[in-house]
Amino acid sequence: MTAPAGARPAKPRPGWGLVAGLVGFTALTWWAGGARYGIGFSVAEMIDNARRARRIVSDFFNPDWNFAPATVAPFVETLQMAILAAVIGCGAALIVAFLASRLTTPNNPVYLVDKGGLNVLRALPDLLYALVFVAAFSIGPLGGILALIMFNVGVVAKLLSETVDGVDTGPVEAAQAAGAGRLQTVRTAVFPQVLPNYLAYSLYAFELNLRASTVIGYVGAGGIGQLVQTQVARFAYGRVTVIIVEIFVIVFVIESISIALRRRLV
Amino acid sequence: MAQASTDPLTAPRTRPGTARPRPPRRPLRMALWLAVTGAVLWAALGVDVDLSDLLVGPGRLLSIAGLMFTPPDWAYAGRAFEGMLESIQIAWIGTLLGAVFSLPLGFLAAKNVTAATGSTVARQVLNGIRAVPELILAIAFVPILGLGAFAGTMAIGLHSIGTLGKLTAEVIEGIDAGPVEAARATGASTSAVMRWGVLPQVLPDVVAFWLYRFEINLRTSAILGLVGAGGVGGILQNTLQYRRWDKAGMTILVIVAATVAIDAVSSRIRRRIIAGPDRAVVVAPVEAT
Repeated sequence: MTAPAGARPAKPRPGWGLVAGLVGFTALTWWAGGARYGIGFSVAEMIDNARRARRIVSDFFNPDWNFAPATVAPFVETLQMAILAAVIGCGAALIVAFLASRLTTPNNPVYLVDKGGLNVLRALPDLLYALVFVAAFSIGPLGGILALIMFNVGVVAKLLSETVDGVDTGPVEAAQAAGAGRLQTVRTAVFPQVLPNYLAYSLYAFELNLRASTVIGYVGAGGIGQLVQTQVARFAYGRVTVIIVEIFVIVFVIESISIALRRRLV
Repeated sequence: MAQASTDPLTAPRTRPGTARPRPPRRPLRMALWLAVTGAVLWAALGVDVDLSDLLVGPGRLLSIAGLMFTPPDWAYAGRAFEGMLESIQIAWIGTLLGAVFSLPLGFLAAKNVTAATGSTVARQVLNGIRAVPELILAIAFVPILGLGAFAGTMAIGLHSIGTLGKLTAEVIEGIDAGPVEAARATGASTSAVMRWGVLPQVLPDVVAFWLYRFEINLRTSAILGLVGAGGVGGILQNTLQYRRWDKAGMTILVIVAATVAIDAVSSRIRRRIIAGPDRAVVVAPVEAT
């Protein structure tokens, strides 16, 4: 077992997983980025396009600040939509989450139906909900609020059910030993353990709502997005810039506050 | 100190066990609850919602669902699938763009790698990028870069730089300082320390984040077509606009199926990257020494 001094051990060969991964990665990238099948990614085209669109670009860089007062009311509506959807959505998510954890829902069919429904709910994008609800209810904030509620239930219930899965089972056993029913166990042994997380997720959902409600209006679901849509349709790009800057600032401020609050909670 | 009467020997005996201590007062918490309640009331009273819509909506929703899925227009599956493929391409290249640019930015934004001022600036840049939603970016890019997948890819790529850069920085801040010190002790240059001390520690987590971001970007790229930025969203927009419910239903089915399938594959790969190879292979038991 005496190796000659200075001799290095041979490098291990790359595993088949790594090789397969790299081959898959290269193939996917070639397929997706190539000009033949994919989106035809090319820098030259990008520069060419940008040059032709010089007037539009200069419009974007000349924000029409006089438009700012007209954006206040839609922003207020956006905020109201975000608040209402967060409150209703997170309330509903509480029930959905407890039904989606084995700890609180030992009944197998109920658990499976709830969990499966949650997965389908989460597979659909928020904008799609907005499209459908606007068609079914009406153009305006109602469709938007309902779309955001669906979105919030998906996000919060997923996160919360995973937290419930991970709680300390000691208090649960203690509650059961004391003769507590299922609801009493959840109320006294599980809920207090997950409450800080639940509040943090709810704040997070509100944050996401604010961000999402700036865009779902684009399909007619009220709020600032609807204003973006009308201004884009008129090619009033200077006004669009104003709205984008405002969205940027508002999302930034609310997110900072929310992150600070969440850090205190958890 | 002043409450000498709580001393169990001297305190008057008032039937122990019956009197509960009063719950502590929490003025801050009260104020917060009041603020939240106020905000909810303000929003509920202020928002412009016609409650009669709430009554007719569910019925209409059901009839739309019926028109969509009983049955969907199966013949439309091919067209919807083509659109979905384009969405996958947009998400893949967009994520790749984000990954390539976010890695150096993530290093710049990590406090334990970059000096304080530099990391703060880089972090604020990343926060700024993240604050603009992809759809808004796409709205801005479509007139500049032209209709189609290219604008969508750039929108997703730019936004991903922000999200991935932030996550990368957080992973780097959580590393073990040992290998970094060891590399430095051998006289390695800064770039060598990054390459051999930091990168190997963060790479599995970072690559897993890239894949996770791809899953999220796929959901986004499926709707970017609404603003003309390519992918299946354009098809969805058209079918819904012209009330071709059965075609829209088929498109939704394709989106859900593709999303769920790709999520399943991607999450398995992510688990494999994080957990490492050969978890199933049991190491030969060592005899007791």
